[in-house]
Amino acid sequence: MHDLPQQLANGLILGALYGLVAIGYTMVYGIVQLINFAHGEIVMVGGFGALTAYLALPGGTTLWLALPLMLIAGILVSTLTAVAAERFAYRPLRSAPRLAPLITAIGLSIALQQLVFAFYPDAKKARVFPKIPGDPFEIGSVAIQRSDIFLIIAAPLCMLALGWFVTRTRSGRAMQATSQDPDTAKLMGIDTDRIIVMAFAIGAAFAAVAAVAYGLRSGQVDFRMGFLLGLKAFTAAVLGGIGNIYGAMLGGITLGLAEALATGYIQHLPGMHLFGGGAWKDVWAFVLLIVVLLVRPQGLLGERVADRA
Amino acid sequence: MTTSTTETTPVIALPGRTAALLTGLGAAATAGSALMPWTWTSEYPGDLTFYGSPAGLQWLALTAGLVTLVLLLATQGVPGLRWAAPRRSSNAVLLAAAGAVAVGWFSVISIATDLGGLAHLEPGGWVLAAGSLLALAGSLGLPLDRRTAVPLRILDRRLFLLVPIAPVVWFATHAVPEDKPVAPVLTALAGGLAIATGGVLLVQLGHAANSWLRLGTVNRPLPAPRALPSWVEVALIVVAFAIGLFAITFGIDTEYGELFTGYLLLAASVVASLGRSGLLPRLRALTVKYQTVTTGAAFAAAASFPFTQTSDQYTSVATNILIFATVALGLNIVVGLAGLLDLGYVAFLGVGAYSAALVSGSPASPIHVQFPFWGAVLTGAVVSMVFGVVIGAPTLRLRGDYLAIVTLGFGEIFRITMLNLNGTTGPKITNGSNGIPRIPDLEILGWNLGKPTTIFGFELGRFSNYYLLMLLVTAVVVLVFARVGNSRIGRAWVAIREDETAAEAMGINGFRLKLLAFALGACLAGLAGTVQAHVSYTVTPDQYTFAEALPPNSAFLLAAVILGGMGTISGPLAGATLLFLIPKKLEFLADYQLLAFGIALIVLMRVRPEGLIPNRRRQLEFHEADADIPAQATGDTVALSKAGA
Repeated sequence: MHDLPQQLANGLILGALYGLVAIGYTMVYGIVQLINFAHGEIVMVGGFGALTAYLALPGGTTLWLALPLMLIAGILVSTLTAVAAERFAYRPLRSAPRLAPLITAIGLSIALQQLVFAFYPDAKKARVFPKIPGDPFEIGSVAIQRSDIFLIIAAPLCMLALGWFVTRTRSGRAMQATSQDPDTAKLMGIDTDRIIVMAFAIGAAFAAVAAVAYGLRSGQVDFRMGFLLGLKAFTAAVLGGIGNIYGAMLGGITLGLAEALATGYIQHLPGMHLFGGGAWKDVWAFVLLIVVLLVRPQGLLGERVADRA
Repeated sequence: MTTSTTETTPVIALPGRTAALLTGLGAAATAGSALMPWTWTSEYPGDLTFYGSPAGLQWLALTAGLVTLVLLLATQGVPGLRWAAPRRSSNAVLLAAAGAVAVGWFSVISIATDLGGLAHLEPGGWVLAAGSLLALAGSLGLPLDRRTAVPLRILDRRLFLLVPIAPVVWFATHAVPEDKPVAPVLTALAGGLAIATGGVLLVQLGHAANSWLRLGTVNRPLPAPRALPSWVEVALIVVAFAIGLFAITFGIDTEYGELFTGYLLLAASVVASLGRSGLLPRLRALTVKYQTVTTGAAFAAAASFPFTQTSDQYTSVATNILIFATVALGLNIVVGLAGLLDLGYVAFLGVGAYSAALVSGSPASPIHVQFPFWGAVLTGAVVSMVFGVVIGAPTLRLRGDYLAIVTLGFGEIFRITMLNLNGTTGPKITNGSNGIPRIPDLEILGWNLGKPTTIFGFELGRFSNYYLLMLLVTAVVVLVFARVGNSRIGRAWVAIREDETAAEAMGINGFRLKLLAFALGACLAGLAGTVQAHVSYTVTPDQYTFAEALPPNSAFLLAAVILGGMGTISGPLAGATLLFLIPKKLEFLADYQLLAFGIALIVLMRVRPEGLIPNRRRQLEFHEADADIPAQATGDTVALSKAGA
């Protein structure tokens, strides 16, 4: 158990990544009760947007200059994609039976993946993403990769900004009102269409931050990266209580920790020596989802799983 | 809407009977062109170079021309042909003529592009192009059923920003030196913007055309058919299924992509025009009257498919279609009847297939047993059902959306687990990515399905045998679907799908019934999986993915159900056939297939969420908002359950 601090640090960082993506699921769900399956692909296009910005910069630009530009490009691409998807795919179906938008979301997810696969140059294989060079930082027995510093700084900043936005600004409070009761919110003069677009846009911006973090961590982006990441992030959102933004981050971190611990220690349990290691980590995340749904379906911070229909 | 907003007028006003004359001439020319050479060289597939002997695409043009001609004469009231258009709607002629143009111009353009230039066209090709266009123009002058006013729809104005942006990006792209790493990305972006702009303009053009043509449906009650002796009516059903078998066999046997594209265009237009003319609704009324005969004829037609084949090349295709269609039908219980979105359905097929493979006596299986066929089927179905219950029990208590994501996860986890059980990262059970190979052929009551058998003097190969076995499984699933769907349980499912809260208030145990639907669906998929394992010799984890270019996979299964029509039997069967054949026959699509598929799902949900063969109730549900569902949409005269829709 001597590497426990290291595993915890890994889990925390991974969890923050899941949490950032989970915000997008939870915000959209909180307002329109739609699982936006395509959110994983919003992350992916954000990653490719950032990569494009990096490619456009003259070779040899330092990452300190490149990173903000990549971030802006990623956020731009993600947000545009998400807003366009909302406007042209989801909005016309808002009053349709609930199967219709779900299927549209699946179609969108496949289409976005394939658009990148078919048209982004050399995207049939993973494309190299820059990493922050240098040795890992050593704090006691814990080593932290330099690339992860971005996530360690960005995730809390994003959460603080979101918390401030939702509670302190007019639009944020309108958003809360819409998620509590869209019809009454409309009667109070809130433009709910604008709020919905805003929820998609904020989720997409967070997705782009997560995409850059993912790219820096793994040194690559590929057209399939959104699928599992999206699935995990959704699990995180459910774990934290879907519809609750702090729950999403908490769920993400819990899931990240659980995954890291399962990867590190499950093989030491009696009879489980063959089920440890990286190969099984997705399976354990999924088992965790099933267990949570069985034991506490409203999630860690969720209050209710009401069916508003 | 009421009839006061519809009218019967031509789009292009032509004097007297000119319109009919032009249409007839055009249709005859289209059909006649099939007897002339279309091109001089046999390099174009199918060899279209002979006088008087139609081949390949020429057969399609001949059919399109003849259908147009017959429908025209029928709507004009020519004695002896009036049966073809009981409704006397000229729209049927227009649809058929549009089909002729589609087939004709597709052929001509395909010949010109394949061979490189219009010079390769022989007179037949020109006659075809001109004739079909003449028929279309003429049919626009016929008295058509139209709406009196269709306001022009303008797309979201922001979309038109693409029109100036696309060229700007295009020029910007050319300003970037080509050796920059970003240059190819920009080129792709510019290309994408150009395509998007084209798409937007095309859709807008479509809206413009729609408000010009104003085609609509006038409420034309289907006149009562002439009383025929019942044996004639039965014979008509048999003839119809024979034609159907011929048409489907033709589609499966097409040898090159061009022919298949033409076939699809023709089939779509013929079905649409015969539906409008009233012939198909009339046939449907007959099939409702003689349900037993119809079911028998359908299975007889399906069972006689292997006898029409000389080699195993296309029976293997047909067998795989049948597997795909059967699983889609099983999914239709879950999605179509109970309204539960299952995104990992293919995993249950996989569970069945792996279970069957493990007990098949394959040398690669760690369990060294060989179950008889019934034992394997039972194992596959039961194991699959157990997984269905394990996955369903925690999730079905919650809102439907959770099920979607949990099943999506299950589908992925199943694949990963099968990969991991390879002896190094887990216990050695499934051989990881190599799968379980060398699954022996089935032996049922001493009949080895791997060996060719001879029935009635026809030699049936391995795939033909499996085709017949699979047809039996399909029959079981169809039976289960029909019987359960019309029972108390089936009605409860539909009630839950429509409104779970209201259904529970009526005393339905929502959770238990949803679990039943889910487990039954899983069980049927497992059943199909056991046969699939034997058909394909090998089971590997990669056969069971979420989205892949080739069916069956979860996304395609769902699409087959949705495309075909949720809650019906024929819908998923038709949807699965189409979705299997299109990727198989149109190989040039390879890289863009899934992209087209994703876009098609989005568009389908916008335009026709009820699918090709809709369930009536479902169709009304989807179009509750817009009032103008024609009461005769699919033509049968059964009174609608929702009056006034």
